[in-house]
Amino acid sequence: MAKLLEYEAKRLLQAAGIATPSGKPAASVREALAIAEEIGYPVALKAQVPAGGRGKAGGIAFAGDARELAERAGALFGHTIQRHAVRSLLVERRLAIEAEHYLAVLSNPAARAPTVIFARKGGIDVEDTARDDAVSCDVDLTVGFRLHHALDLIRRAGISGRVLVALAQVAVRLFEVYRRNDCMLAEINPLAMTAQGPVAADARFDLDDDALFRHPDFTSEEAGDVGARTRTPLESIAARIDANDHRGSAHFIQIDPTGALAASEGRVSIGFDGVGTGVSLTTLDELVPLGFLPKNFCDTSGNPTASKLYRITRVILAQPDIEGYVFISCLSSQQLDNTARGIVKAFKEVFPGGQPNIPCVLCFRGAWDETALALFDEHGIADSPWVRLMGRDTTEREVASAFRDLHARWRSREIAA
Amino acid sequence: MTRGRLQFSVFSGGEVIFDLDTCAQCRSKACVAACNAPNLACVLMLKDDVPALRMSAQEAARGGCIECLACELACEADGIGGITFSLPMPELDAYLRDMDARGEVPGFKRV
Repeated sequence: MAKLLEYEAKRLLQAAGIATPSGKPAASVREALAIAEEIGYPVALKAQVPAGGRGKAGGIAFAGDARELAERAGALFGHTIQRHAVRSLLVERRLAIEAEHYLAVLSNPAARAPTVIFARKGGIDVEDTARDDAVSCDVDLTVGFRLHHALDLIRRAGISGRVLVALAQVAVRLFEVYRRNDCMLAEINPLAMTAQGPVAADARFDLDDDALFRHPDFTSEEAGDVGARTRTPLESIAARIDANDHRGSAHFIQIDPTGALAASEGRVSIGFDGVGTGVSLTTLDELVPLGFLPKNFCDTSGNPTASKLYRITRVILAQPDIEGYVFISCLSSQQLDNTARGIVKAFKEVFPGGQPNIPCVLCFRGAWDETALALFDEHGIADSPWVRLMGRDTTEREVASAFRDLHARWRSREIAA
Repeated sequence: MTRGRLQFSVFSGGEVIFDLDTCAQCRSKACVAACNAPNLACVLMLKDDVPALRMSAQEAARGGCIECLACELACEADGIGGITFSLPMPELDAYLRDMDARGEVPGFKRV
């Protein structure tokens, strides 16, 4: 799920008329000092990483003057939070907070509708503190979330008077931001009450990956389907392949980018591509017990172009330290001859002499599978001792076993050499 | 008289170039046959004994060419090498250069 960084989320809130603390992101201590001079001390320094629990993890600090800022910002820039290196800080004017609430709009699969949640007590550990006092309402999208809905919701949390109206207005605006930006979650926590009214002190936005193409303005490298961590360089390169071409998909995620997991478990890293997520997972289930660990997961389905296969195959094979490559299709209706042409072009370009020098098992099952297999013969790739082609009568277990046997032969020759 | 080039862009970012002087000498015209297979796009036709587009270059670039690579691979297998189908990946090239500088070896360069 694509996640926006806090400063990006706050820009959306500001555009919708929701107050946020004055501040800007900084990429260095010098920039942080300049921003603090502009907005005035005291300031909050907040690590911009796509992860929650930053406060507890030491990712938020406060500074009352330039000396404190230089010292604390310097420490934060060297910090890693939940495996994310801190590359930027949000420098904000520190708020004088009277109370902290929680407000969120989330896509609720159980209700099959957006749900708006408000809790009187927000801030750190809201999952525990709001367990008993949170109120919520599911939104009928044919009606929308209107001011009277928001007033009713927040009144149920025991809030009344002017504050009730101010908070209800924020809730309506947050719902608009959620809708306009195809969010799965739009969360303000804490929604700080100050003398000037409610201010979004922190924000978290998770976006619907399938709608990212509608928001080319979300340029953050954090946006992507790699969960809570940042994309690896190869994942960023692979994401551009899909972004530039809507025809079929090439979802590429590195499971073990550094190879550390494979090394710690004594497994062999390999490159992997599957047509269909189900067959990919089934094949991984067969490969792992045999001592292999795919360095990546990749799904190239939905009838992608051959050019897309060419590009993603180059990405998969660029991974260092892989001792092989497995391609497998499900019983697919996609044009497997196109799939094969992309792989053939990539193999011919990247492998010395056009023939793989690492074990490669390719299994084509489905539409035009025989044409697909014939292409590897036609272009001399099947002549390589390290290539095994398999057809429609093959099971995932047989593919994994064939790879194991081929890898064992390749390994013994490598050791002998 | 030189015949020049047939050149068009493709939707995903890339370019196809036919060297028509080379194509004129090719007996197989395998690219045209491959492009006109029943399941492919039929972008190419023969005109004056060399490949030509059935559509405008703009239509081909908007997705008329489905980037199946059949023309290029058929040319490599049965033709005389008149086609260049370039699909640039500058970010990957830069990544590979960085890997090289770090002394890392991509999987495909493993010896």
